[in-house]
Amino acid sequence: MNPERWQRLLEDVTAIDGVRGAIVVTAEDGLVVHEAAVEGLETGDVAALASVVVRRAEAIATASGDSEVRLCTLSAEKGIVIAAQGEHGLWLVAVTEPDVELGRLRLMLGDLAPELG
Amino acid sequence: MSDQSAPQQTLSFLDLGERLRQRGQFEAALSVAQAGAARYPTLAAAHDLIGRILADQGDDEGARSAWLATLECDATHPGALKGLAFLAFRRRDFGDAERYLEAAAAASPRDTSILTALDRVRSMRPANAPEVINIDDPVAGLLLLDNQGLRLAGGLGTGRDEQMADAAAASAAGAAREAERTARLLGLGAWQHLLIEGDSMRTTLLPATAQAMLLVRRPATAPVGRLLAFAARAVQAAQAWLGNS
Repeated sequence: MNPERWQRLLEDVTAIDGVRGAIVVTAEDGLVVHEAAVEGLETGDVAALASVVVRRAEAIATASGDSEVRLCTLSAEKGIVIAAQGEHGLWLVAVTEPDVELGRLRLMLGDLAPELG
Repeated sequence: MSDQSAPQQTLSFLDLGERLRQRGQFEAALSVAQAGAARYPTLAAAHDLIGRILADQGDDEGARSAWLATLECDATHPGALKGLAFLAFRRRDFGDAERYLEAAAAASPRDTSILTALDRVRSMRPANAPEVINIDDPVAGLLLLDNQGLRLAGGLGTGRDEQMADAAAASAAGAAREAERTARLLGLGAWQHLLIEGDSMRTTLLPATAQAMLLVRRPATAPVGRLLAFAARAVQAAQAWLGNS
């Protein structure tokens, strides 16, 4: 575990236009492990809610006989919550505006999340 | 399920049948393959061999039956899925061909021949020919469910039975509730879709009406933007289905 490294990862994510904030969370219990530039959001709420959505997504994948979930994206009218699986039960979560460069963000999270841990 | 109890010697009839097929001795090859399939009726490879022989003979209906029998033994048999895609391609049903190839690619993600064929089929489909949407087709990868997690129509796609579809519907209703709650509590407004991505499959869940939602499942080879665009069209079809049911 390297908080300085996590900080760099999170700063890379929040550097993308439209990203309101990024946090590292534990999927099992929804706790905030590290956070960066989360404007106007309670990071504890984001972590708890995102972890529940991820677990529900995993339940769908399991019921469907699919492999484990790597990326989970909740898209809503006014924003997006996107979570990428890292190591050791950690997930990299970003909260964004609805018009974020989603293609770039998806790729970045997919690349960075495995570096957690 | 494949016949795990078939002894190693069964490979000899498969090898012989395949050699005869490659030499163009189709009748002899068919005789060997059918004898093998009669001896080991749950051996997927035997039915697959029959499918290839019949396809070589131009008996597309017979080949189709053989490959469907293969899938009954092994729901993700790549040879049968490729064979069914080939038959669809031959009758210029590019949508069906693509669907079978996507299933084959999900079963064998590192088989470049499948990915190449998939690219070719996609390039053959006219740009203005949208994928056919059939909510009632259990192998179309469209699952319509109500707010209580009960399946209304459709299924999870090739290789997934009704029990799995029911279980997925039950899980999806819970996921939809959490998606709605999360979007609301974070001040993000109404939820639009939940996209779930794994190594082999991509699934999206989205509201269809106030009382129903739709789960769309595609292999990971399907581009995300295309999946979401298709899902949006499928919601319209689901709304029509609900209005007519």
